[in-house]
Amino acid sequence: MADVRDIMELDRPGTPEITRETILGTDKPKKKFTPGTKISKRPEGMHREVFALLYNDNKDVPPLFPSDTGGNGYKQTKIKLGMRRPRKWEWMAFTNPARSDNATFYHWRRPSDDAKEYPFAKFNKKVDVPTYTDVEYQQHLTSDTWTKEETDHLMDLAQQFDLRFIIIADRYDTQKFSKRSVEDLKERYYKINGILAKLNGEKKIYTYDADHERRRKEQLKKLYDRTPEQIEEEQFLISELKKIEARKKERERKTQDLQKLISQADIQNDTPRKTDKKIPKKKLSNPRPSRVDTSYILQAVETAGIKFPDYKNSGVSLRSQRMKLPANIGQKKSKAIEQSLQEMGLELNPTATEDICQHFNELRSDMVLLMEIKSALETCEYDLQSLRHQYEALAPGKTLIIPAQLTNSEQENKINTGEIIDVVGSPGTPLNT
Amino acid sequence: MSGGMLYGGDEIGALVFDPGHHSLRVGYAQEDTPKAEIPAVVGVAPDEAIKLEAESKPDDSNVSSQSQHKYYIDTTFLHTPRVNMELHSYMKDGMIENWDMFEKILDYSYDKIIQSESHYHPVLFSESPWNQRQKRERLTELMFEKYKVPAFFLVKNAVLAAFATGRATALVIDSGATHTSAVPVLDGYVISNAVVKSPLGGDYLILRAREMLEQMGIDLTPAALIASKDVVRDKDKPRFVKKKLSFQPSNSWMTYMVKKTVQDFQQSVLQVSESQYDERVVSNIPSVHYEFPTGYHQDFGTERFKLAEGLFDHAMLGAGYIAATSAGMCDVDIRPALYSSVVLTGGNSLVQGFSDRLSRDLSVRTPSSARLKMIAANGSVERRFGSWVGGSILAAIGTFQQMWMSMQEYQESGKSQIDRKCP
Ligand SMILES: Nc1ncnc2c1ncn2[C@@H]1O[C@H](COP(=O)(O)OP(=O)(O)O)[C@@H](O)[C@H]1O
Ligand SMILES: [Mg+2]
Repeated sequence: MADVRDIMELDRPGTPEITRETILGTDKPKKKFTPGTKISKRPEGMHREVFALLYNDNKDVPPLFPSDTGGNGYKQTKIKLGMRRPRKWEWMAFTNPARSDNATFYHWRRPSDDAKEYPFAKFNKKVDVPTYTDVEYQQHLTSDTWTKEETDHLMDLAQQFDLRFIIIADRYDTQKFSKRSVEDLKERYYKINGILAKLNGEKKIYTYDADHERRRKEQLKKLYDRTPEQIEEEQFLISELKKIEARKKERERKTQDLQKLISQADIQNDTPRKTDKKIPKKKLSNPRPSRVDTSYILQAVETAGIKFPDYKNSGVSLRSQRMKLPANIGQKKSKAIEQSLQEMGLELNPTATEDICQHFNELRSDMVLLMEIKSALETCEYDLQSLRHQYEALAPGKTLIIPAQLTNSEQENKINTGEIIDVVGSPGTPLNT
Repeated sequence: MSGGMLYGGDEIGALVFDPGHHSLRVGYAQEDTPKAEIPAVVGVAPDEAIKLEAESKPDDSNVSSQSQHKYYIDTTFLHTPRVNMELHSYMKDGMIENWDMFEKILDYSYDKIIQSESHYHPVLFSESPWNQRQKRERLTELMFEKYKVPAFFLVKNAVLAAFATGRATALVIDSGATHTSAVPVLDGYVISNAVVKSPLGGDYLILRAREMLEQMGIDLTPAALIASKDVVRDKDKPRFVKKKLSFQPSNSWMTYMVKKTVQDFQQSVLQVSESQYDERVVSNIPSVHYEFPTGYHQDFGTERFKLAEGLFDHAMLGAGYIAATSAGMCDVDIRPALYSSVVLTGGNSLVQGFSDRLSRDLSVRTPSSARLKMIAANGSVERRFGSWVGGSILAAIGTFQQMWMSMQEYQESGKSQIDRKCP
């Protein structure tokens, strides 16, 4: 019936026009779908995973497109189709507030949307390009390399092309003015911008570092303009460098292994035997054992301490890495270092500046050295004492007088090396068992 | 439009024209193909020769001297031999040259293709990136004064081709009939100082193919002049009967028709080899059989590649070279963006293997740090009508409607503002 009426162009009283609301029925209070209200029970014996696959209907992924059907989309909404009059579309005139000329165009639109502003007008955004008066220009903006005319041209293009400086440089009037680079243009523009902003009392003034930009682009250009041969050469050099580094690492690893072996050997020999073993040998070779022993001690002093590995040239690394104790420093020693650092009131991990790094390493090296010397001294004293006991046991009634300089470790500095050695290395000591 | 905010479109009944050397593409904005592709040649014959044909409207009384001529437009009319009909191209160097003839084409478009009155429809025209100011103003004037269009806009065809692929920044390689060009586009603006073009396009291929075919002694009589033909064996002399004409068709018409014949050969047979032409490699690829309008037919093997190689092997004009040169002339900061969206368009890029070869040639010249990505529509329609499709999209976008130069603006400030309105 309605169709016939439509064809006859008769009015249909009582049938309201369709609107989106009547189709979607959103005027009625909506049934709320809250996730979790529809709790279905898992049948006995069904695996949880299988159940989860079946019953997660209300966990649908969100639609790719933004939809305006009020959350539920068309899927859940019961669309009410009926014998209702469709809303009209009309080919009608519109004006666009984004235009300055009030030109009218035509498009298809629902008459009900008539009052609304052209929806795309709000996207009409413009960049704010500062303006200046003649006076302002004369007072603040003059430049040796830019005339006012050229500056005006630049500002005009900046407005027209929304600060796309690459395009501005491309469309620059090179007949009137000389060619300018993108950096030149930016430099001038941002300078003017900054000066005007300052005049307006703005706090935040941006500056443009044209030289830096020029250098950056120069570098980039060089990077892009490399010939295939150059790239190949670079690849070759890089791979060579890698090889060298690998070899170096290998060598470093080997020296470390060696050092470890040496220090292990040292520990094993760290008993009185150390001195025994060496002294006779030296004695044989040298008629003046005193000299030999001095050199032995001096040598020990020189090599002791911490040998920090050489970090130079093995690629980029943190400087603090240089302060790491090498692996051959045992736990005992590092504990001791830690302790004495604390006693001195020093940080365990100071900021690794060049100076600190060097001095910190030297300090700890000296500490270790000191410890080593101390323990060596203790060994010597111990040896001395046991020698004395042996001597007294072998020659009852006699006592061996040990000179005071030798027993007192506090007086180290007064020690006369020659004398020590005389005692320590006195021939006929029956210690070499 | 009410529901239209979602996709940003607002169709206002605009028309899109994309003039080229090969053809003019005309149609309504927001449609996906032009309504018509009209060959870019006009047939002119003295008025006495009138029979029945689609003709320009006789209402331009302002050009009286031309009323003695009859103008023939569009394929069907052009392909029929007529007494004293000379064919002319109204394009030169990618720009409109002969305005009288171009008006005939526009008259024809409104009359037969659009079939609506020009003052109802805003018009968007494409132009070559190197179009001259004076020509742009002339076109503006023509559209407002003669056709009374309500609004007008001009966009560089490379920009439109980039838009058609959904990009505002791209390096557009457009290989058309008379030239191949590399045009950098940044945010919808052509970087005009970095445009590079070469005269090697479809016409060049046709010329070379024609030379070769003539040297091989193959008869290139166009189909329009053949009354009947017999089936002959491979490479046998063709047996055909020519149409009996009471007159000698003009030279320009014969040249055009032979060109069309060779063009078909070119499109069906030619292929660009994957890398630099190497006879040994190419001879392994199966040959293609082709039959000419005369009935003569044979296989074409290495020739296919040898001919097409002309587009690429030239040291300064090869497609890969001009593309790399153009990118190299742009600011270093945007080069990566250009390399990562190289848009291929234009009918001649449909020659088999064109896009593969271009991307290969270009990748050799691309800095190793840049990512090269080539965007070439698969469909032949999208490729041939790339610029038109871009125009069709642009003219029906809601936010574009503020850009038109309107009749009011034209009347207030004249044609010279086109340079500012459509930079
Ligand atoms: N399928 C195809 N294969 C090869 N060449 C083609 C094909 N289609 C068109 N061409 C060629 O493309 C050229 C026309 O390209 P087009 O972009 O329309 O040029 P213009 O923009 O100059 O009018 C002609 O030379 C034509 O021979
Ligand atoms: Mg073209």
